[in-house]
Amino acid sequence: MRNFWSILIAYLAAWAIFFGYYVSVGRRLTRLEADFRRLKQRAGRD
Amino acid sequence: MNLARSAGLVFGKELRIELRTHDLTHTVLFFVLMVAGLFSFAFDPSSTESRVILPGLIWIAFFFAGTLMLQLCFVREQVNDTLAALRLAPIDPFAILLGKILANFGFLAVTEIVFVPVFSLFYNVSLGGVLGRLMLLLFLGTFGLAVPGTVFSAMTAQARMRELLLPLLLLPVLAPVLIAGVEATAALLGPGHALEREWVVMLAGFDLIFLTATWLLAGFLVEE
Amino acid sequence: MKPSGRAWQLTAIATAIVTALGGYAIFFVAPREETMGQIQRIFYFHAGTGICAYLGFFVSFLASIGYLASRQSEWDWMAVATAEVGLAFNTVVLVTGPIWAKPVWGIWWTWDARLTLDFILELLYIAYLLLRTMVAEPERRALVSGVFGIFAFLDVPLSYFSIRWWRTEHPQPVIGGGPGTGMAPMMWYVFLFTGIGLLALMAILSRERYRLEALRHEFAELAAGAEDEPEPVETKGLSR
Repeated sequence: MRNFWSILIAYLAAWAIFFGYYVSVGRRLTRLEADFRRLKQRAGRD
Repeated sequence: MNLARSAGLVFGKELRIELRTHDLTHTVLFFVLMVAGLFSFAFDPSSTESRVILPGLIWIAFFFAGTLMLQLCFVREQVNDTLAALRLAPIDPFAILLGKILANFGFLAVTEIVFVPVFSLFYNVSLGGVLGRLMLLLFLGTFGLAVPGTVFSAMTAQARMRELLLPLLLLPVLAPVLIAGVEATAALLGPGHALEREWVVMLAGFDLIFLTATWLLAGFLVEE
Repeated sequence: MKPSGRAWQLTAIATAIVTALGGYAIFFVAPREETMGQIQRIFYFHAGTGICAYLGFFVSFLASIGYLASRQSEWDWMAVATAEVGLAFNTVVLVTGPIWAKPVWGIWWTWDARLTLDFILELLYIAYLLLRTMVAEPERRALVSGVFGIFAFLDVPLSYFSIRWWRTEHPQPVIGGGPGTGMAPMMWYVFLFTGIGLLALMAILSRERYRLEALRHEFAELAAGAEDEPEPVETKGLSR
């Protein structure tokens, strides 16, 4: 298979970017949910 | 008050300030001269290769000078918060923007009129037959810089890191102007001395499209 | 905070299956192209990703108009979500492009029509996202990004034509022009199949990003509300 490695790297790079973006959104969501919990705790204590 | 008069008033104000202080034109003139000098050191004007990249140098020098000037313009407004006063005035928001656009265009145009002969001197390019058409191209391109430039200045007035932000926003948007301007200038200065219509159309089209967009969106830009 | 609904979870699973099958199809089902060899297979996801990116930017443009017209935050959330996801897809295009170019043309990068336009698009939408991070107040941010979003997208056809006229004067190796013309039927099926998978992926990522923005808005409102409440009286501790 000519140029097999190139296409494999391209495919993996593409998925790495998509996956990386998904993880980025997920992490921001998690951080936000943590902020929500902290806020609710503070509100609950008052 | 109709649009022309209001815009004229804002333009007049900008002009008066500039005539009093000469800040902008002096700074821009000096900057462009310095760039021309630096380019001469980096790309030896005597070599034929440099002649090939001359159109690019001209346009890039003006893009950077123009961006610098736009930032100076709005910093000046910030000092006494004159923008708030302008907003309260009973004039069409587009008039405010148009006046500023014309002022920015005017200052840069003056710089170009002075500078083009200097450039031709440094690079030994005779501009005899083509000067008028070259100035047309530069003016169309400069207007293309002034319209989004003034709009983005207004937009980033309260943003963080606005000095860096303005070029970051502006330069990608100006890509068509750079391509069209450089290609048209190259054709003009080249053997045929031809003014290629497609590039003139592109520059004029760019100006028209963004001026129209500014007109439609002016209300949103000038509000609090 | 509502968890992603059932329908979306099913779509996510379906997307994963479709893309996995798409991957298989790209490598093993699609027929081999004569002139370029195996490397041509990049086309299936390079071109499909490119189309998705343009679509994302277009939707962001429409959403910017929507926000300015209605002043409803949901439009702004849609604008940033599709712009950011579009940017991710566009990055994939810019990364896979050179990987294609190297084996076929021996160079990593070339300023051909497609790649130059994609490069400018990347810069435009990075600028869009940067602008948003620099404006703190949410309403002003939405307003300002709405205007820039419109200007940025208006720049796209202008850039497209400038670059095309520029490139026809200076012929360059054409990347991506070949496979588009005269594709065998099986190639079309693989292309469509992959394309649908990528569109679904785009929809899911946009939706998640939209949800993030909506939650941020909710959080900001709650936080503002909490700050308005008076400080608790300290005597509580003392009386225990």
